[in-house]
Amino acid sequence: MRHLLSLPQLASRAFSTTARQMRNKVPERQKVFLEDNGLPVHIKGGTTDVLLYRLTMTITLAGTALSFYWLLRASMPRGKAH
Amino acid sequence: MAHQAHAYHMVDPSPWPLTGAIGALLMTSGLAIWFHFHSTTLMTLGLILLLLTMYQWWRDIIREGTFQGHHTPPVQKGLRYGMILFITSEVFFFLGFFWAFYHSSLAPTPELGGCWPPTGITPLDPFEVPLLNTAVLLASGVTVTWAHHSLMEGERKQAIQSLALTILLGLYFTALQAMEYYEAPFTIADGVYGSTFFVATGFHGLHVIIGSSFLAVCFLRQIQYHFTSEHHFGFEAAAWYWHFVDVVWLFLYVSIYWWGS
Repeated sequence: MRHLLSLPQLASRAFSTTARQMRNKVPERQKVFLEDNGLPVHIKGGTTDVLLYRLTMTITLAGTALSFYWLLRASMPRGKAH
Repeated sequence: MAHQAHAYHMVDPSPWPLTGAIGALLMTSGLAIWFHFHSTTLMTLGLILLLLTMYQWWRDIIREGTFQGHHTPPVQKGLRYGMILFITSEVFFFLGFFWAFYHSSLAPTPELGGCWPPTGITPLDPFEVPLLNTAVLLASGVTVTWAHHSLMEGERKQAIQSLALTILLGLYFTALQAMEYYEAPFTIADGVYGSTFFVATGFHGLHVIIGSSFLAVCFLRQIQYHFTSEHHFGFEAAAWYWHFVDVVWLFLYVSIYWWGS
């Protein structure tokens, strides 16, 4: 029944600009980030946080290894491009 | 759950300083590798890492302030000091380039023809696009102040509109300047005139892009109800940075475009 009553609101929301009809989701986000689960802030948001962190760390470690490879190659006297 | 008996912010351990530092390492060493080995992999990896770090680090600061309430008055005071000191360091950065410009232009060498602008250089007319650019940035300074007052008075719609207008003006400046760069009768390789002109205005343009991006993030945050009429330091920091960009342009306009022509 509640869904039917909110239909006019939903319809107007679909055709309005985001700015005008955006709902305030800050209290919900506050609840997520104030939860006492011992998680550090950089992964406290959920699965996306963890995936993004893993991607970033993979690039960090792979990049460090790659920079060592290039450092070794650049230190060699031969095989250097013009 | 343990509670702190002080108003300061003891941050959670974070990986972003490390990833940022490695990103800087990869970008710089990658630049050297690009020069000597024609491979851009390392540098590109560094750029991606830097962007990922910036996104996540600043996302976390928003979480700590807006969602976790860690930005108490003393903490906010520290953030204010931090932003002011950062902008001061940027002022010194630009001071160097102005020093270079005045060094070469106040006593032009015989190689330049003993005059400024040097022989053979057709400078841009300061009363054409550069004057329009000045008007655009000055107007954007007004709109960003309008946005601040709207925020402080709880006028949500006006804050959004004035912030949008500020960003549009910033983009307009960037577009106009890009066109000027394309149409300019001289290049960066045209002696010390070209060097000082394009390095000084080029770094300024980069700062306009950075400032516009910062304002755009504030725009998105304002739409999502992050700012209150009493607490909106992220916006204030962006506005300070924007005014700094505006002032640098005024110095550039008067020194390089006007006096320098």
